[in-house]
Amino acid sequence: MFVLKNAWKTVMRNKGRNILIIIIVAIIAAAATIGLSIRNAAQEARETGLASTTVTATISADRSKLMEQARESADSSSDSSDSSDSSASSDSSDSSSSDSSQTPDFDAMRATLESASLTLADYQKYEKASSVPVSSYYSESTGVSGTDSFQPVESTSSNSANSSSSSDSSSDSSSDSSSGDSQNGNGQPGGQPGGDMGGGQGGGMMMTSGDFTLTGFSSDTAVANAANGTFTMVDGEVFGYDSDSDGKVIISKALADFNDLEVGDTITVTNPSDTSTTYTLTICGIYKNTTSSNTDAMGPMGGTSQDADNAIYTSVSTLKSLGLDADTTANDDDDNTSTQLSYTYVLDNADDYETFTADVKAAGLDDTYTVQSADVENYESSLVPLDNLAKFALTLLIVVLAVGAVVLIVLNLFNIRERKYEVGVLTAIGVKKAKVAAQFAIELLIVTMCGIALGVAGGAVASVPVSNQLLAAQVSSQETQAASQQEQFGRGADMGGGPGAQNTSNSSDSDSSSSDSSANSSNSSNNSSSNNTQSAPGGMRGGFSRAVNYVSTIDATVNLKVVGQLILIGLGLTLASALVGIIFVMRYEPLQILADRS
Amino acid sequence: MNTVIDTTIAEQAADSAADTAANATADTEAPTVLELEHVSYSYTKGGKRVLDDKNYAFRAGRVISITGPSGAGKTTLLSLLSGLTTPSSGRVLYRGDDLARADRYRYRSRDIGVIFQSFNLLPALTVAENIILSMDASGKTFDKPKKEIAAELIAKVRLQPEYVNERILHLSGGEQQRVAIARALSYDPSIILADEPTGNLDLSTQDDIMAIFRQLAHEEGKCVIIVTHSPDVAAQSDEVYQLAKLRRTR
Repeated sequence: MFVLKNAWKTVMRNKGRNILIIIIVAIIAAAATIGLSIRNAAQEARETGLASTTVTATISADRSKLMEQARESADSSSDSSDSSDSSASSDSSDSSSSDSSQTPDFDAMRATLESASLTLADYQKYEKASSVPVSSYYSESTGVSGTDSFQPVESTSSNSANSSSSSDSSSDSSSDSSSGDSQNGNGQPGGQPGGDMGGGQGGGMMMTSGDFTLTGFSSDTAVANAANGTFTMVDGEVFGYDSDSDGKVIISKALADFNDLEVGDTITVTNPSDTSTTYTLTICGIYKNTTSSNTDAMGPMGGTSQDADNAIYTSVSTLKSLGLDADTTANDDDDNTSTQLSYTYVLDNADDYETFTADVKAAGLDDTYTVQSADVENYESSLVPLDNLAKFALTLLIVVLAVGAVVLIVLNLFNIRERKYEVGVLTAIGVKKAKVAAQFAIELLIVTMCGIALGVAGGAVASVPVSNQLLAAQVSSQETQAASQQEQFGRGADMGGGPGAQNTSNSSDSDSSSSDSSANSSNSSNNSSSNNTQSAPGGMRGGFSRAVNYVSTIDATVNLKVVGQLILIGLGLTLASALVGIIFVMRYEPLQILADRS
Repeated sequence: MNTVIDTTIAEQAADSAADTAANATADTEAPTVLELEHVSYSYTKGGKRVLDDKNYAFRAGRVISITGPSGAGKTTLLSLLSGLTTPSSGRVLYRGDDLARADRYRYRSRDIGVIFQSFNLLPALTVAENIILSMDASGKTFDKPKKEIAAELIAKVRLQPEYVNERILHLSGGEQQRVAIARALSYDPSIILADEPTGNLDLSTQDDIMAIFRQLAHEEGKCVIIVTHSPDVAAQSDEVYQLAKLRRTR
């Protein structure tokens, strides 16, 4: 009590000096508050950003790994390989970089890639292996060709631009086997089964040929996540998912208008590789796309089937009944029509995603597959400026605290030296040294706590605008970086991480096609500018490097946690600087007072 | 050898002085409050002795002067008596307890009031604050408000009441002296120890102060010990202990 009272009186007595210390401490505390609240907010954003929202995940094949494996196995078993290729492969085994090796064993590669695609059963097995709640939906897409009475929406100009790279069937749908041939012969744009997406969510119908993309969905969720974007029904209603609704499809408004179709009409499509196989479908609804972001990604290279307007939606059950589902087509080797399965897992939050990834690996998923989540990746890349800011805040915090500690210690040192006489008097009249030391520490504590209180108040007011300002600077520097790349390359450079990196697993041969396609796209966008959905300014790459919505505001409000941390820091700083005084007092001999005669 | 002889002489002189004083008053009625038992002191271990084998007894109700020339160890004796330090050998007994083993902070804060030569008041504090600081430090409980006691003490040392809230800085030497006495008395110690209390005061003030001391001893039964080199002060005391010069100047 005596100590407290004395400390309080002494603090009140030395107002000038203490106000100086309070100001210094307040500045330190304000900077520390901002630093801490930024770190806190960044951490919270990271933790809670995906905690409450569902996360979708897909399993995709790591194609470069697959190719590597295929190459290795081809080299080792070159002797036993196909007789047609035997001469080439035997040569290549000797001289690896010679001309003969320039033509890789496409069939083997393709076989590897095809075998690499997981079946529906596989996906479901992994879903069951998960220890966290997981739901799933999937869609299967395949290509079908039109008939005389049912033609795809197309403009001749864009069609001609595409014809070189895509397939004959798009310009001449009645030619029966040409599309199949072009697939095998080219092996490039249309003919990449299991290709770009390998089960990925984004572009499952990339590989399809034919005039239309027939996509089967497993549930409403799957429809809502349709690759072509969300849509609204113009007429009729969406099909059901059980076998009762088999044969029911919905088509786009444009397609309906083009063919003068209405709800209730039936359409007939053919198997693109075998026009004698026809499928009759009933239109139960007509939809209109509200967003068409992903259609751009395909560009004109994929033929008319890539046109969002030429997408026919139905249920998985319908596809199955038509024998076009993924399992059937995969088992059917002769059939060139392969159905692309796009299987998506839905997890409750990001933590579950991590668990799911581990579980799936544990359940025997091969190394050549990776579990990916566009949501998580997008979110991670949106956090880049925030992470930078958090790093900056940490540096700020350390510097401020170090400087603050030094300043406080030096001030206290001078202070104590000045008060040597007081120490002598107090000990001479019988105040224990521990009490004197405690008094000095408490005095400092009172002063620093006042400073911290002021600093926290100031920091709390300033932290939200300051941190958002700093964050804005970080975001703009990120965007400038992206923009300068855009300028340099004339397109979104495929450099940074984020969603643009989705196709990093593309093999080298896909590059040639993409450069073609971007060249084509400029033509097509000019020619078909009247066609809304066809406009693809950036070409394929432009579609990929869609802008990341960086986290540009954070809730850097000062909460109890920050205040608690600051008080701890304040206590630490006070004790550190009070230690100087305590040591001084403890070393003081009361006898010295006799020598301290003023 | 000379040193030893000198010491013996000095001791004999002191002893005889004590005897005389004891005989002069009502014999051994007053109890011994503070006692030195074969006390020697040297600042460094095994170094030169500043005090050598001193034996003194201080009784309640007496004004005792310790005199001696400069360098005789007056200040050292003061620091031993006030519990600021402990003897190299021998014992300082307060009511029969060895101070070396007792809590000397408690002793300083409750049992002895020291009036330092330089007063050692806190200049930034007021008169009352200085006095109350000592009262607080003693941890004793008082039956009256501390402020009231401080005012009474100030009257007792014959200072004007308006001095209560005056800062020490603004006081003269004599006034500070009185405040120092008031502070020493504030927590009602049984011993008052004054170091050169009249050192730089004029004669009338000196007599005034000495009158206060005698009053404290004779009327309140305190043991008043005055360390001084002034023969006048010694003459006004009940007892005088003469410290011989220990250090050789030749």
